[in-house]
Amino acid sequence: MSTLRIDGCTVAFGGLRAIDNVTLDIAGGAITALIGPNGSGKSTFVNMVSGQIPPRRGRILLDGEPLNGLRPDRIVHKGLARTYQVPRVPKELTIDEVISVPLLYARSSRSLPGAARTASDLARYCGLRPHVGTPCGQLSVSDLRRLEIARALACRPQVLLLDESMAGLSLEDTEQVIGLVREIHASGVTVVVIEHVMKIIARLCSHAIVLNQGKLLAEGPPEQVLTDQDVREAYLGKGFRL
Amino acid sequence: MTKFLLSRLGLYAAIAAPSLLILAADRPFLIQVAIGTLISAILALAWDILSRTGQVSLGHAAFFGIGGYGSALLTPILGAALGWVIGILLCGVVAVLLGAVTLRLRRLYFTIATLSFSLSIQVLILVTPGITGGATGIMPPVIAGGSPPLQLLFITGCLVAAAIVSDVFLGRRFRPAFFMIRNNPDLAAASGVPVTRLKILAFAVSGMVAGLAGACYCGLYGYVIPDDVFTTNWNVLPLAVTILGGMDTTIGPVVGAIVLRLLEEAARHFVGGVGYQVVYGAVIILFIAGMPEGLVGYGRQLIRRSRRSSERAPVKASLAS
Amino acid sequence: MTASVVQAVLLALCMAGLYAAVAAGLTLTVGVTRIINFAHGEFVMLGAFLTYWLHTRFGLSPWIGMTVSGVALALLSAIVYRSFLARVLKQDEHNQLLATLGLSILILNLAVIAWSPDPRVMQAPALLPALNLGGVTIPGNNIAVALVGLLLFLAMYAIRNHTRYGTQMRFASDDPGLAMHAGINVDQIFELSFVIGGAAAGVSGGLVALVLYVQPTVGVDLVIRAFAIIALGGLGNIPGALIGSAILALTEGLISTFVPQGGSWGFGIAFLILLLVLVIRPSGLFGKQVPA
Repeated sequence: MSTLRIDGCTVAFGGLRAIDNVTLDIAGGAITALIGPNGSGKSTFVNMVSGQIPPRRGRILLDGEPLNGLRPDRIVHKGLARTYQVPRVPKELTIDEVISVPLLYARSSRSLPGAARTASDLARYCGLRPHVGTPCGQLSVSDLRRLEIARALACRPQVLLLDESMAGLSLEDTEQVIGLVREIHASGVTVVVIEHVMKIIARLCSHAIVLNQGKLLAEGPPEQVLTDQDVREAYLGKGFRL
Repeated sequence: MTKFLLSRLGLYAAIAAPSLLILAADRPFLIQVAIGTLISAILALAWDILSRTGQVSLGHAAFFGIGGYGSALLTPILGAALGWVIGILLCGVVAVLLGAVTLRLRRLYFTIATLSFSLSIQVLILVTPGITGGATGIMPPVIAGGSPPLQLLFITGCLVAAAIVSDVFLGRRFRPAFFMIRNNPDLAAASGVPVTRLKILAFAVSGMVAGLAGACYCGLYGYVIPDDVFTTNWNVLPLAVTILGGMDTTIGPVVGAIVLRLLEEAARHFVGGVGYQVVYGAVIILFIAGMPEGLVGYGRQLIRRSRRSSERAPVKASLAS
Repeated sequence: MTASVVQAVLLALCMAGLYAAVAAGLTLTVGVTRIINFAHGEFVMLGAFLTYWLHTRFGLSPWIGMTVSGVALALLSAIVYRSFLARVLKQDEHNQLLATLGLSILILNLAVIAWSPDPRVMQAPALLPALNLGGVTIPGNNIAVALVGLLLFLAMYAIRNHTRYGTQMRFASDDPGLAMHAGINVDQIFELSFVIGGAAAGVSGGLVALVLYVQPTVGVDLVIRAFAIIALGGLGNIPGALIGSAILALTEGLISTFVPQGGSWGFGIAFLILLLVLVIRPSGLFGKQVPA
């Protein structure tokens, strides 16, 4: 399984440091959670790693290969994919057309999870119920989230960053997505889950990384990290229970 | 696959049919109108190809003119075939150069840059009278020996060629990627699409098809001045045609060219030779606000709706009995 | 030699005032609503024609003409916004651009039909006394243009940064969804910014009538320069527009004075400057780096 290494990275907007000299390793053996209060830099982290915002300093290495400074589409070719929190897809395109884009453009020798060969296979694997010919304008939010996961999987990534893919989903849908994420991980993909619903983190992830104000605050198993005093203070999370 | 090919061939036949009918009718006035309309359609197709990536060009007159002047000046030296090919390729090269600089930027700046470019290039012609004839113009070789019916036949062929190119970019390889670039370029990049490179490709192809239209236009009457090709008319026309007919389609610009030509003739009748472009402005506003999918898109919606209601009807009957 | 350089520079700075006024109105609207109003130039043109007409037909002073134009164009902006822009705002950016483009073409050609494409000159008396410094004379109207232009510009800046509406505008432009939740009537704020931009366009039109030919195409000329200025200064950056105006006007002015046949190079210059800046710094000389 692939490892992602962040080495002394800083992202700054003018004087504000959204990511402040962060060094961490994401190994493939666990599903890793990236958590932190609002404004801690989680979204910036994803944008930094995926190439949207290059770090001012530091290196990002995927299995030893540097990713920093590359264009986002080059980073996808290297094997890192991310989902978008708010999926905005052209409403005229159908489900399989959206999934077909990475299938065509993110060329890779890696195989798709779940023995999927086509866009409709991937759609089914991700639990997309509407017919693949349905235009995206007619999809529900949970369908759009699944489509995002399918689209990111179609990039055939070695490392997958899921940016709040479960926010706002029903209990049933959340269950199904949790199952899907486990399956994706089991197929050999290193998964990083950016979430702020603690119960999901606790169930899904065996390793958690906490950011606060752009700095690495804590790392470790979720139960340990979530009971850490510093982490609790950062969240001002009174009365939180696992 | 064969069904797809047949539908495409049907489309091209439908595009060519009106010309053939007009040729059969043998009315010189109609032939001239048809020639003008077809050239507009080719230019509009060129514009639409680029518009699918979300880039609005206000400078297609530049490519229209470069293709026209290029082919006109090179044909006496290199022969018609090579002269046209190089003239059109020149448009592609210019597009790649301009695009490499401007396509990375906000869409607004690209639009302004194309407008500025097209207004500036006329100046270039005017200050190089030695090569380009300057303000006095040039005398391009005439297509098909000046015979209007043969010209119409040739230009119809060019339109079908442009339609084929348009269809290639509406195929599986390009359409979803182009639409994604238009709607959410970050998402496209996050899907492995080389966004700027594809935009440059679309721009180059768009420029070359526009150059083809220009080459056809310059080859009609044997005499062309810069004002004939480098005017805002050719910048605005493809927008109006495509929005009227239906963006993101191949048949849309063709339908739009025909309908707009009719509207233009009506406007010219009432308003005279100056300011009739008001029709373009009115068309654009009315359709963007009221019918953004254009005539073709609206027609398709109607067909879909009638198909759905006819599917429901038998069910109702059986429930009632 | 020095005298003519100084003259050229001062005249150019006066013109910069006009450009700044046009660009400021535009950058306010675009920065807030994100609607790229191509028809802004045509609004300026309408203001120019109105001021011209009020002076030539009724003998009204251009001061009055400018003010009336400002009000008239503010009204027109409100009408345009309510009747058709509000609907287009719901569509995607691609269509919005096309819609204001259509409006621009419509207004321009209606003007051509109504008033013919011929350029007109408003023979207005000097609104202010001319300035005589050594061998250099700056006509009073050019000074008036510079002053009013600068004032308009400062007014845009003040509205955006020092009024309650301005704060709401900035909030609404950054995050319309959030602004709505905060109780801001985003639609109203958008309309207001559009109307203010229109008023600025109207007054700028009055300035145009003072020092330029009044003709239907004057709007296109100005809007291209306005966008070049906005690119130079950075989108939404009002002080940047001032510096951008100065750079553009000085370059144009100096070239047209000292390069033979340089006067017809206006477009070329605006274009080249635009390209140069955008190659070097895509967010403008003073634009902010926008975090994703």
